[in-house]
Parts: sequence; structure tokens; C-alpha cells
Amino acid sequence: MAIALRTLFRFGPLIFAFGFLAPLIAQIIEALEVTPPFGLAPLTVGLVLAGVLGLAAQLRGRWV
Amino acid sequence: MSNRDLSMLTPKELARIERDIARKHIGKFPWLAVTAGIGAFLCWLALWPLVFMDVIPAWAGFVAATVLAIIGYLPSHEAQHDIIARPGSRLRWLNEVVGHVSTVPLALPFDLARATHREHHLHTNHPELDPDYGSSAAGPLKAIWTAIQNIQPRSKGGHNAYSRTLLRLGRKDVLKGAALYRATWFLTLFTLAWTGHAIEAAALWWLPHHVGYVYIQYYLSWAPHHPANETARYRNTRSFRAALGNIGSLGMQYHVVHHLHPRIPFLRTPQAYWEMKPVLEAQGARVEDL
Repeated sequence: MAIALRTLFRFGPLIFAFGFLAPLIAQIIEALEVTPPFGLAPLTVGLVLAGVLGLAAQLRGRWV
Repeated sequence: MSNRDLSMLTPKELARIERDIARKHIGKFPWLAVTAGIGAFLCWLALWPLVFMDVIPAWAGFVAATVLAIIGYLPSHEAQHDIIARPGSRLRWLNEVVGHVSTVPLALPFDLARATHREHHLHTNHPELDPDYGSSAAGPLKAIWTAIQNIQPRSKGGHNAYSRTLLRLGRKDVLKGAALYRATWFLTLFTLAWTGHAIEAAALWWLPHHVGYVYIQYYLSWAPHHPANETARYRNTRSFRAALGNIGSLGMQYHVVHHLHPRIPFLRTPQAYWEMKPVLEAQGARVEDL
């Protein structure tokens, strides 16, 4: 349990990005009825954007 | 009180008068705090089906959830100080219930809040020992920015300062409980998001958590202690005139009374303040702004 918690918090930004931000971005795209470029699916856009944001937050230690 | 000449009294005599005033306000059962704490939690719970069934839009749910998350901190704060019921008393369970449920919308573990808040009272404005010292900043805008920085993953303040405090106190039990609480919160958000309810989860819990933390840091940590450079009993907290008024500042205009007498219920601090003010002035307290 302790190891699982430590891992969760060590990689918190990345885990949060894929666990929450990716589907959030996808669902916002769908709700706004925006068509993603290059025929990408909303979830693909969500995963890419969230991945970039999460990686940056993971490396910098902060989201903003 | 205002007609009495206090200038000839010793600090000890002034303290006695102050205590007598405080005693008048201590011990009254805080019905409103109990009702507000449980009520805010229940209202927040009710928002979920209302937003899920499109009875109200997500943005309205966000506004309501944020207000409830911020308001909910105050009854929890009463419980942190055992104002609802002391340990071992008949209604102790109610103190604990209110403390735990009222901070659920804020996703703040009550045991963590209680342990670190007590340290804040013991070591107010001490750079190493006050877990809220990280919220100090030169001015209002910097305070908001500092509060935002404090909720970042590797910040020096916020939850990381609380973790350091708990480790220093040897309270690994509280730290583990808080970590488990936060992990459960994350997993709940992830589950909601991947089952198609990310917007609702963001509106009702994730965003209110962040906005609430910043608001509470601003009005409960920064504003009443600014500039946070004195640690003496009558100098570490101040009264102030808030731009958003006493309600908008969550009653923190009179925070100096709370630090001097933490067991006075929140709603009685304004009255206690005005009764005590001449004594506080005579004691050299920072009450010049209000």
C-alpha cells in the first residue's frame, strides 16, 4: 500500500494527466462539437495534450 | 468597557479582563456551524444528481460547489478546535462528523487539517514551524499567486508543508491517512472521467477543490497574518477591513480574537472583538485597521 501510494504521488502529474485530463479534454471537445484536425478522435487529442501537459508538470514540479 | 481607563492596568490585569470577555462567548453550542457543516455537505451531494440529470448546467454546479467547499471549511474549523464538543463529551461524535463531512467538497482530510492547524496556532508566523507560513506574500496579488503555487505538486507550501509538519510531529498515521484520502479522491475522479463524466467531476469537485484552496489560503492564512513578520501573541494576527466584507472574507476580519481565544465560536468573534477592542489596543494588538 505504501509503495503504491508513493508511486502514485511520485508520478502524480503524469498519472493525473492520463487519468483525468485526457478524458476531460476529449469530453470538452465533444461537448463543444469541435472537429479535431487531421481526422483525430477527441480522445486522441485529449491523450496527446494531456500527455504534453503532464510531462511538463512532471519535469517542472508544477502545472503553472 | 469603552468608558474605563485601561492605561493604568498591567498586562496581567488586561489579560484578566480579556479572558472574562472571552468566557462569556465560550461554551455556547454552535448550532449554526453544525447545521451549516452537514447542510453544506448534503447540498454538495445533491448537486451531483442535479448536474448529471441536466437539471442545472455544469457551470452553475461549479459555482455552487465552490461556494459550498469554501463555506464548509468553517464548520470544520470549529471542529478542529473542539468547539462543537470536547474530547470525551457526549456529543464528541458530532464534532468529528461535522469535521470530516464538511471538508469533503474541498477534498481536505480533517485529521490533517486539525493536526496542522494546531501547529499554525502554536507557531504562528514562524518560518519553519508554522505550516501556513508558505502563504505569506508582499501583497494581495502576490498572495493569490503564492496560493496557486502552493497547490503545485512540488511546492514548498501547501500539502508538502503539511507533510513536513506531520513528519516533524511523528504523526505518520495522519500522513498515511491523508495520502490514502488523496489517492481515493484521485481514483474517484479518474473513474468518473473514464466513465464519461469528466466535465461533471471537474465542475463539482476538482475545480472547487483548487479554487477553494486558493480562496482559503488567501483569507484564512495570508490576510489575517500579513505581513507575517511577528510571532508575539498580540502581534502575529491582525484585524483588517476586507474588500469582500466580513462574509466574503469568511469572518476573518476578526481573526485576531480567534488566535487569542480559539474556543470562541466563529459567529461570536465579531461581538467578542468589539467588546475586547479597547483591551486589545492596550495590549498592543494589531487592531488599528478595524
